[in-house]
Amino acid sequence: MNKVTNINHATVKERPVTTLDQKPARAEGRKDPWSQLLVKVGKEQDRQAYHSLFEHFAPQLKYYAMANGMASHAEELVQEVFVSIWRRACLYDWQKAAASTWIFTIARNQRIDMLRKMRRTSAEMPVETEDLWQIPGEDDNQPVTSLHRLMSERRVRESLSQLPEDQITVIAKVYMEQKSHQMVADELNIPLGTVKSRVRLALSKLKVILQDQNV
Amino acid sequence: MTRHHPDSLSLMEYSAGNLSEPHALCIRLHLDKCTHCRSRVDTLDSLGAVMMEQQPKVSVSETMFDDILAKIDSTPAPEQPAKVVPKISLLQKLLGEDINNLPWKRQLGDVSVLDITEKFPGQKEQVVLQKLVAGGKAPAHTHRGTETTIVLQGAFADQKGVFNQWDFVVLTDQDEHKPVAVGCEDCITLSVLSAPVKLTGTFTRMLNPFIR
Repeated sequence: MNKVTNINHATVKERPVTTLDQKPARAEGRKDPWSQLLVKVGKEQDRQAYHSLFEHFAPQLKYYAMANGMASHAEELVQEVFVSIWRRACLYDWQKAAASTWIFTIARNQRIDMLRKMRRTSAEMPVETEDLWQIPGEDDNQPVTSLHRLMSERRVRESLSQLPEDQITVIAKVYMEQKSHQMVADELNIPLGTVKSRVRLALSKLKVILQDQNV
Repeated sequence: MTRHHPDSLSLMEYSAGNLSEPHALCIRLHLDKCTHCRSRVDTLDSLGAVMMEQQPKVSVSETMFDDILAKIDSTPAPEQPAKVVPKISLLQKLLGEDINNLPWKRQLGDVSVLDITEKFPGQKEQVVLQKLVAGGKAPAHTHRGTETTIVLQGAFADQKGVFNQWDFVVLTDQDEHKPVAVGCEDCITLSVLSAPVKLTGTFTRMLNPFIR
Protein backbone atom coordinates (compact mmCIF):
# COMPACT_ATOMS: atom_id res chain seq x y z
CA MET A 1 0.00 0.00 0.00
CA ASN A 2 1.45 3.28 -0.88
CA LYS A 3 1.73 5.65 1.99
CA VAL A 4 1.31 9.29 1.48
CA THR A 5 4.82 10.43 0.90
CA ASN A 6 4.39 13.91 -0.33
CA ILE A 7 2.44 15.56 2.40
CA ASN A 8 3.99 18.85 3.11
CA HIS A 9 5.56 19.28 6.47
CA ALA A 10 3.47 22.11 7.74
CA THR A 11 0.38 20.02 7.25
CA VAL A 12 1.88 17.01 8.94
CA LYS A 13 2.79 19.00 11.97
CA GLU A 14 -0.67 20.38 12.33
CA ARG A 15 -2.55 17.16 11.83
CA PRO A 16 -0.63 13.94 11.86
CA VAL A 17 -1.84 11.73 9.07
CA THR A 18 -2.68 8.30 10.35
CA THR A 19 -1.04 5.53 8.47
CA LEU A 20 -2.67 2.17 8.01
CA ASP A 21 -0.62 0.68 10.78
CA GLN A 22 -1.70 3.11 13.43
CA LYS A 23 -5.01 3.42 15.15
CA PRO A 24 -6.67 6.50 13.78
CA ALA A 25 -6.79 9.12 16.45
CA ARG A 26 -9.88 10.95 15.34
CA ALA A 27 -13.32 9.69 14.59
CA GLU A 28 -13.41 11.09 11.09
CA GLY A 29 -10.06 9.51 10.36
CA ARG A 30 -11.49 6.06 10.83
CA LYS A 31 -12.13 3.93 7.82
CA ASP A 32 -15.75 3.18 7.15
CA PRO A 33 -16.51 -0.55 6.71
CA TRP A 34 -16.48 -0.40 2.90
CA SER A 35 -13.14 1.30 2.84
CA GLN A 36 -11.77 -1.36 5.18
CA LEU A 37 -12.98 -4.07 2.84
CA LEU A 38 -11.53 -2.34 -0.17
CA VAL A 39 -8.16 -2.06 1.54
CA LYS A 40 -8.29 -5.81 2.18
CA VAL A 41 -8.97 -6.47 -1.46
CA GLY A 42 -6.03 -4.31 -2.40
CA LYS A 43 -3.59 -5.68 0.13
CA GLU A 44 -4.55 -9.32 0.36
CA GLN A 45 -6.69 -9.99 -2.72
CA ASP A 46 -9.34 -10.96 -0.19
CA ARG A 47 -12.21 -12.46 -2.19
CA GLN A 48 -14.64 -12.47 0.66
CA ALA A 49 -14.17 -8.76 1.14
CA TYR A 50 -14.55 -8.35 -2.60
CA HIS A 51 -17.81 -10.28 -2.50
CA SER A 52 -19.16 -8.08 0.30
CA LEU A 53 -18.35 -5.01 -1.75
CA PHE A 54 -20.10 -6.59 -4.70
CA GLU A 55 -23.23 -7.32 -2.70
CA HIS A 56 -23.38 -3.75 -1.51
CA PHE A 57 -22.37 -1.79 -4.59
CA ALA A 58 -23.44 -3.88 -7.59
CA PRO A 59 -27.18 -3.11 -7.18
CA GLN A 60 -26.37 0.61 -6.85
CA LEU A 61 -24.19 0.50 -9.92
CA LYS A 62 -26.82 -1.29 -11.91
CA TYR A 63 -29.36 1.39 -11.10
CA TYR A 64 -26.78 4.01 -12.03
CA ALA A 65 -26.24 2.38 -15.42
CA MET A 66 -29.96 2.09 -16.07
CA ALA A 67 -30.80 5.60 -14.95
CA ASN A 68 -28.36 7.13 -17.35
CA GLY A 69 -29.68 5.40 -20.39
CA MET A 70 -27.30 2.47 -20.61
CA ALA A 71 -29.96 -0.08 -19.76
CA SER A 72 -28.93 -2.50 -22.46
CA HIS A 73 -25.37 -2.39 -21.19
CA ALA A 74 -26.14 -2.14 -17.50
CA GLU A 75 -24.81 -5.54 -16.49
CA GLU A 76 -21.77 -5.07 -18.66
CA LEU A 77 -21.04 -1.78 -16.95
CA VAL A 78 -21.36 -3.32 -13.48
CA GLN A 79 -19.01 -6.11 -14.49
CA GLU A 80 -16.45 -3.78 -15.95
CA VAL A 81 -16.55 -1.62 -12.86
CA PHE A 82 -15.95 -4.62 -10.62
CA VAL A 83 -13.11 -5.99 -12.69
CA SER A 84 -11.61 -2.55 -12.55
CA ILE A 85 -12.09 -2.38 -8.77
CA TRP A 86 -10.21 -5.67 -8.40
CA ARG A 87 -7.33 -4.54 -10.56
CA ARG A 88 -6.99 -1.11 -9.07
CA ALA A 89 -7.64 -1.92 -5.45
CA CYS A 90 -3.91 -1.98 -4.78
CA LEU A 91 -3.85 1.70 -5.71
CA TYR A 92 -6.71 2.58 -3.42
CA ASP A 93 -5.69 4.88 -0.61
CA TRP A 94 -8.38 5.19 2.03
CA GLN A 95 -6.82 8.43 3.20
CA LYS A 96 -7.67 10.04 -0.09
CA ALA A 97 -11.22 8.92 -0.64
CA ALA A 98 -13.91 6.80 0.94
CA ALA A 99 -14.51 3.54 -0.91
CA SER A 100 -17.92 4.64 -2.13
CA THR A 101 -16.48 7.86 -3.59
CA TRP A 102 -13.68 5.95 -5.25
CA ILE A 103 -16.12 3.43 -6.71
CA PHE A 104 -18.41 6.19 -7.91
CA THR A 105 -15.56 7.78 -9.86
CA ILE A 106 -14.62 4.43 -11.39
CA ALA A 107 -18.21 3.88 -12.46
CA ARG A 108 -18.44 7.38 -13.89
CA ASN A 109 -15.26 6.87 -15.89
CA GLN A 110 -16.31 3.44 -17.07
CA ARG A 111 -19.56 4.87 -18.36
CA ILE A 112 -17.79 7.69 -20.15
CA ASP A 113 -15.31 5.23 -21.57
CA MET A 114 -17.99 2.87 -22.85
CA LEU A 115 -19.84 5.72 -24.52
CA ARG A 116 -16.64 7.03 -26.07
CA LYS A 117 -15.83 3.62 -27.48
CA MET A 118 -19.32 3.19 -28.87
CA ARG A 119 -19.20 6.40 -30.80
CA ARG A 120 -15.51 6.55 -31.50
CA THR A 121 -14.80 7.45 -35.04
CA SER A 122 -11.89 5.90 -36.87
CA ALA A 123 -9.63 8.64 -35.60
CA GLU A 124 -7.77 7.56 -32.50
CA MET A 125 -8.48 9.60 -29.41
CA PRO A 126 -5.20 11.09 -28.30
CA VAL A 127 -6.49 11.58 -24.77
CA GLU A 128 -7.86 8.80 -22.62
CA THR A 129 -10.85 9.07 -20.35
CA GLU A 130 -8.67 9.01 -17.27
CA ASP A 131 -6.54 11.82 -18.54
CA LEU A 132 -9.66 13.94 -18.34
CA TRP A 133 -11.48 12.46 -15.36
CA GLN A 134 -9.32 11.37 -12.52
CA ILE A 135 -9.80 8.67 -9.90
CA PRO A 136 -9.06 10.21 -6.49
CA GLY A 137 -5.71 9.26 -5.07
CA GLU A 138 -4.19 7.99 -8.30
CA ASP A 139 -1.88 10.84 -8.96
CA ASP A 140 1.33 11.68 -7.27
CA ASN A 141 1.07 15.38 -6.96
CA GLN A 142 -1.83 15.68 -4.59
CA PRO A 143 -0.42 16.96 -1.36
CA VAL A 144 -3.91 17.66 -0.07
CA THR A 145 -4.24 16.35 3.41
CA SER A 146 -6.40 13.35 3.93
CA LEU A 147 -8.66 14.26 6.82
CA HIS A 148 -10.23 16.92 4.75
CA ARG A 149 -11.25 14.31 2.22
CA LEU A 150 -12.43 11.83 4.76
CA MET A 151 -14.65 14.32 6.40
CA SER A 152 -16.10 15.37 3.16
CA GLU A 153 -18.18 12.28 2.58
CA ARG A 154 -19.59 12.23 6.06
CA ARG A 155 -20.34 15.91 5.83
CA VAL A 156 -21.99 15.47 2.46
CA ARG A 157 -24.26 12.75 3.80
CA GLU A 158 -25.25 14.87 6.77
CA SER A 159 -25.83 18.03 4.77
CA LEU A 160 -27.77 16.19 2.14
CA SER A 161 -30.22 14.89 4.68
CA GLN A 162 -31.18 18.46 5.43
CA LEU A 163 -31.80 19.56 1.88
CA PRO A 164 -35.33 20.03 0.57
CA GLU A 165 -36.60 17.49 -1.89
CA ASP A 166 -36.62 19.85 -4.87
CA GLN A 167 -32.88 20.43 -4.55
CA ILE A 168 -32.13 16.74 -4.23
CA THR A 169 -34.26 15.97 -7.27
CA VAL A 170 -32.25 18.33 -9.40
CA ILE A 171 -28.91 16.99 -8.18
CA ALA A 172 -30.05 13.42 -8.72
CA LYS A 173 -30.89 14.17 -12.32
CA VAL A 174 -27.48 15.67 -12.90
CA TYR A 175 -25.57 12.82 -11.24
CA MET A 176 -27.71 9.82 -11.98
CA GLU A 177 -29.32 10.67 -15.28
CA GLN A 178 -26.46 12.70 -16.72
CA LYS A 179 -28.73 15.60 -17.51
CA SER A 180 -27.43 19.08 -18.08
CA HIS A 181 -29.00 21.90 -16.11
CA GLN A 182 -30.89 22.90 -19.23
CA MET A 183 -32.28 19.39 -19.72
CA VAL A 184 -33.37 19.28 -16.09
CA ALA A 185 -35.16 22.59 -16.55
CA ASP A 186 -36.95 21.31 -19.65
CA GLU A 187 -37.96 18.10 -17.99
CA LEU A 188 -39.29 19.65 -14.80
CA ASN A 189 -40.76 22.50 -16.79
CA ILE A 190 -39.12 25.18 -14.67
CA PRO A 191 -36.81 28.01 -15.74
CA LEU A 192 -33.10 27.31 -16.10
CA GLY A 193 -32.43 29.98 -13.49
CA THR A 194 -34.50 28.06 -10.96
CA VAL A 195 -32.54 24.89 -11.60
CA LYS A 196 -29.28 26.73 -11.15
CA SER A 197 -30.38 28.44 -7.98
CA ARG A 198 -31.51 25.13 -6.49
CA VAL A 199 -28.14 23.63 -7.29
CA ARG A 200 -26.35 26.64 -5.86
CA LEU A 201 -28.36 26.48 -2.66
CA ALA A 202 -27.53 22.81 -2.30
CA LEU A 203 -23.86 23.33 -3.06
CA SER A 204 -23.58 26.11 -0.56
CA LYS A 205 -24.98 23.77 2.08
CA LEU A 206 -22.29 21.36 1.05
CA LYS A 207 -19.72 24.13 1.35
CA VAL A 208 -18.65 23.81 -2.25
CA ILE A 209 -19.77 27.36 -2.84
CA LEU A 210 -18.74 28.79 0.46
CA GLN A 211 -15.27 27.71 -0.49
CA ASP A 212 -15.57 29.85 -3.59
CA GLN A 213 -15.82 32.93 -1.46
CA ASN A 214 -12.77 32.16 0.58
CA VAL A 215 -10.46 32.27 -2.38
CA MET B 1 -1.29 30.37 -7.66
CA THR B 2 -4.35 30.62 -9.77
CA ARG B 3 -6.97 33.15 -8.88
CA HIS B 4 -9.73 32.56 -11.37
CA HIS B 5 -11.55 29.29 -10.83
CA PRO B 6 -14.33 27.33 -12.54
CA ASP B 7 -17.70 27.95 -10.90
CA SER B 8 -19.34 25.31 -8.74
CA LEU B 9 -21.95 24.39 -11.30
CA SER B 10 -19.30 23.52 -13.87
CA LEU B 11 -17.34 21.52 -11.34
CA MET B 12 -20.49 19.63 -10.50
CA GLU B 13 -21.11 18.80 -14.16
CA TYR B 14 -17.50 17.70 -14.37
CA SER B 15 -17.81 15.49 -11.31
CA ALA B 16 -21.02 13.98 -12.65
CA GLY B 17 -19.21 13.20 -15.90
CA ASN B 18 -21.54 15.33 -17.98
CA LEU B 19 -19.11 17.71 -19.62
CA SER B 20 -17.90 17.35 -23.15
CA GLU B 21 -14.30 16.22 -23.53
CA PRO B 22 -12.90 19.65 -24.41
CA HIS B 23 -14.62 21.22 -21.41
CA ALA B 24 -13.43 18.43 -19.17
CA LEU B 25 -9.92 19.06 -20.45
CA CYS B 26 -10.06 22.70 -19.36
CA ILE B 27 -11.24 21.71 -15.89
CA ARG B 28 -8.69 18.93 -15.60
CA LEU B 29 -5.80 21.21 -16.55
CA HIS B 30 -6.94 23.65 -13.91
CA LEU B 31 -7.38 20.96 -11.25
CA ASP B 32 -3.85 19.78 -11.80
CA LYS B 33 -2.59 23.08 -10.45
CA CYS B 34 -5.30 24.11 -8.04
CA THR B 35 -5.63 22.29 -4.72
CA HIS B 36 -8.57 24.47 -3.83
CA CYS B 37 -10.68 23.26 -6.71
CA ARG B 38 -9.46 19.71 -6.24
CA SER B 39 -10.91 19.66 -2.79
CA ARG B 40 -14.17 21.08 -4.14
CA VAL B 41 -14.23 18.25 -6.67
CA ASP B 42 -13.50 15.74 -3.91
CA THR B 43 -16.62 16.93 -2.13
CA LEU B 44 -18.60 16.74 -5.35
CA ASP B 45 -17.36 13.22 -6.07
CA SER B 46 -18.55 12.28 -2.59
CA LEU B 47 -21.87 13.86 -3.43
CA GLY B 48 -22.06 11.56 -6.45
CA ALA B 49 -21.36 8.56 -4.24
CA VAL B 50 -23.99 9.54 -1.70
CA MET B 51 -26.57 10.20 -4.45
CA MET B 52 -25.89 6.76 -5.87
CA GLU B 53 -26.29 5.21 -2.45
CA GLN B 54 -29.67 6.87 -1.93
CA GLN B 55 -31.20 5.76 -5.20
CA PRO B 56 -33.14 2.55 -5.71
CA LYS B 57 -31.14 -0.65 -6.05
CA VAL B 58 -31.53 -3.07 -8.90
CA SER B 59 -30.54 -6.68 -8.42
CA VAL B 60 -27.98 -8.11 -10.77
CA SER B 61 -28.02 -11.51 -12.39
CA GLU B 62 -27.19 -14.38 -10.08
CA THR B 63 -24.21 -15.52 -12.04
CA MET B 64 -22.58 -12.15 -12.30
CA PHE B 65 -20.20 -12.48 -9.41
CA ASP B 66 -18.94 -15.81 -10.69
CA ASP B 67 -18.58 -14.35 -14.15
CA ILE B 68 -16.48 -11.56 -12.72
CA LEU B 69 -14.26 -13.98 -10.83
CA ALA B 70 -13.84 -16.03 -13.99
CA LYS B 71 -12.85 -12.93 -15.87
CA ILE B 72 -10.36 -11.91 -13.23
CA ASP B 73 -8.84 -15.39 -13.15
CA SER B 74 -8.61 -15.78 -16.89
CA THR B 75 -6.97 -12.47 -17.59
CA PRO B 76 -4.02 -11.97 -15.32
CA ALA B 77 -3.89 -8.39 -14.22
CA PRO B 78 -1.76 -6.36 -16.53
CA GLU B 79 1.31 -5.86 -14.40
CA GLN B 80 0.31 -3.30 -11.80
CA PRO B 81 -2.64 -1.37 -13.21
CA ALA B 82 -0.08 1.25 -13.59
CA LYS B 83 0.03 3.98 -11.09
CA VAL B 84 0.31 6.01 -14.20
CA VAL B 85 3.40 8.05 -13.79
CA PRO B 86 2.98 10.39 -16.67
CA LYS B 87 6.30 10.95 -18.31
CA ILE B 88 4.77 13.58 -20.46
CA SER B 89 2.21 16.10 -19.47
CA LEU B 90 -1.39 15.84 -20.52
CA LEU B 91 -0.86 18.77 -22.85
CA GLN B 92 2.09 17.20 -24.55
CA LYS B 93 0.15 14.00 -24.93
CA LEU B 94 -2.64 15.93 -26.54
CA LEU B 95 -0.50 18.09 -28.76
CA GLY B 96 2.30 15.67 -29.50
CA GLU B 97 4.72 18.56 -29.33
CA ASP B 98 6.03 21.17 -27.02
CA ILE B 99 3.57 23.98 -27.03
CA ASN B 100 6.06 26.46 -28.41
CA ASN B 101 6.95 24.29 -31.40
CA LEU B 102 3.48 23.96 -32.81
CA PRO B 103 2.65 25.04 -36.36
CA TRP B 104 1.08 28.29 -35.24
CA LYS B 105 -0.81 30.30 -37.83
CA ARG B 106 -0.25 33.97 -37.61
CA GLN B 107 -3.44 35.97 -37.70
CA LEU B 108 -3.35 39.65 -36.94
CA GLY B 109 -0.12 41.24 -35.91
CA ASP B 110 0.26 39.93 -32.40
CA VAL B 111 -2.03 36.95 -32.54
CA SER B 112 -1.42 33.38 -33.72
CA VAL B 113 -3.84 30.50 -33.59
CA LEU B 114 -4.00 26.79 -33.98
CA ASP B 115 -7.25 24.93 -34.34
CA ILE B 116 -7.07 21.58 -32.55
CA THR B 117 -10.73 20.62 -32.86
CA GLU B 118 -9.74 17.46 -34.72
CA LYS B 119 -8.18 16.11 -31.54
CA PHE B 120 -11.70 15.68 -30.21
CA PRO B 121 -13.54 13.67 -32.84
CA GLY B 122 -17.28 13.57 -32.38
CA GLN B 123 -17.41 16.58 -30.08
CA LYS B 124 -19.43 19.63 -30.98
CA GLU B 125 -17.21 22.42 -29.77
CA GLN B 126 -14.40 24.12 -31.56
CA VAL B 127 -11.10 23.92 -29.68
CA VAL B 128 -8.47 26.53 -30.38
CA LEU B 129 -5.06 27.44 -29.06
CA GLN B 130 -4.27 31.11 -29.18
CA LYS B 131 -1.03 32.89 -28.75
CA LEU B 132 -0.56 36.56 -28.06
CA VAL B 133 3.05 37.67 -28.21
CA ALA B 134 4.50 39.13 -25.05
CA GLY B 135 3.28 42.69 -24.73
CA GLY B 136 0.94 42.19 -27.69
CA LYS B 137 -2.66 43.29 -28.00
CA ALA B 138 -5.65 41.58 -29.50
CA PRO B 139 -8.43 43.61 -31.09
CA ALA B 140 -11.62 44.20 -29.15
CA HIS B 141 -14.20 41.50 -29.62
CA THR B 142 -17.22 39.89 -28.07
CA HIS B 143 -18.25 36.26 -28.09
CA ARG B 144 -21.23 34.56 -29.55
CA GLY B 145 -22.26 31.76 -27.30
CA THR B 146 -19.81 30.77 -24.63
CA GLU B 147 -16.06 30.56 -24.64
CA THR B 148 -14.23 28.67 -21.93
CA THR B 149 -10.56 29.51 -21.71
CA ILE B 150 -7.64 28.30 -19.67
CA VAL B 151 -4.28 30.07 -19.67
CA LEU B 152 -1.51 27.61 -20.50
CA GLN B 153 1.42 29.95 -20.45
CA GLY B 154 2.13 33.58 -19.60
CA ALA B 155 -0.68 35.91 -18.63
CA PHE B 156 -3.13 38.30 -20.19
CA ALA B 157 -5.06 41.23 -18.86
CA ASP B 158 -8.34 42.81 -19.85
CA GLN B 159 -10.92 45.06 -18.22
CA LYS B 160 -11.79 42.32 -15.78
CA GLY B 161 -8.36 41.68 -14.43
CA VAL B 162 -5.19 39.71 -14.94
CA PHE B 163 -5.37 36.07 -15.91
CA ASN B 164 -2.33 34.02 -15.06
CA GLN B 165 -1.20 30.56 -15.95
CA TRP B 166 -3.89 27.93 -15.15
CA ASP B 167 -6.52 30.57 -14.55
CA PHE B 168 -9.92 29.66 -15.86
CA VAL B 169 -12.29 32.09 -17.49
CA VAL B 170 -15.67 31.84 -19.18
CA LEU B 171 -16.76 34.59 -21.55
CA THR B 172 -20.23 35.02 -22.98
CA ASP B 173 -21.85 37.32 -25.49
CA GLN B 174 -22.12 39.88 -22.72
CA ASP B 175 -18.39 40.26 -22.49
CA GLU B 176 -16.50 42.50 -24.80
CA HIS B 177 -12.81 42.48 -24.13
CA LYS B 178 -9.49 43.58 -25.51
CA PRO B 179 -6.82 41.35 -24.07
CA VAL B 180 -3.19 42.34 -23.70
CA ALA B 181 -0.40 39.87 -23.01
CA VAL B 182 1.39 40.88 -19.85
CA GLY B 183 4.70 39.67 -18.52
CA CYS B 184 7.70 38.67 -20.56
CA GLU B 185 6.34 35.46 -22.01
CA ASP B 186 4.00 34.93 -24.93
CA CYS B 187 0.55 34.25 -23.59
CA ILE B 188 -0.94 30.95 -24.77
CA THR B 189 -4.50 29.96 -24.05
CA LEU B 190 -6.73 27.05 -24.88
CA SER B 191 -10.31 27.95 -25.67
CA VAL B 192 -13.39 25.87 -26.16
CA LEU B 193 -15.94 27.68 -28.25
CA SER B 194 -19.60 26.99 -28.55
CA ALA B 195 -20.04 29.57 -31.34
CA PRO B 196 -17.80 31.83 -33.40
CA VAL B 197 -16.50 35.16 -32.14
CA LYS B 198 -17.81 38.48 -33.24
CA LEU B 199 -15.37 41.31 -33.72
CA THR B 200 -16.41 44.68 -32.50
CA GLY B 201 -13.48 46.74 -33.72
CA THR B 202 -12.16 47.35 -37.17
CA PHE B 203 -10.71 43.90 -37.77
CA THR B 204 -14.07 42.43 -38.49
CA ARG B 205 -12.96 39.83 -40.95
CA MET B 206 -10.41 38.10 -38.80
CA LEU B 207 -10.82 35.04 -36.73
CA ASN B 208 -8.62 34.12 -33.90
CA PRO B 209 -8.51 32.86 -30.38
CA PHE B 210 -8.29 36.04 -28.53
CA ILE B 211 -10.85 37.07 -31.01
CA ARG B 212 -13.10 34.13 -31.24
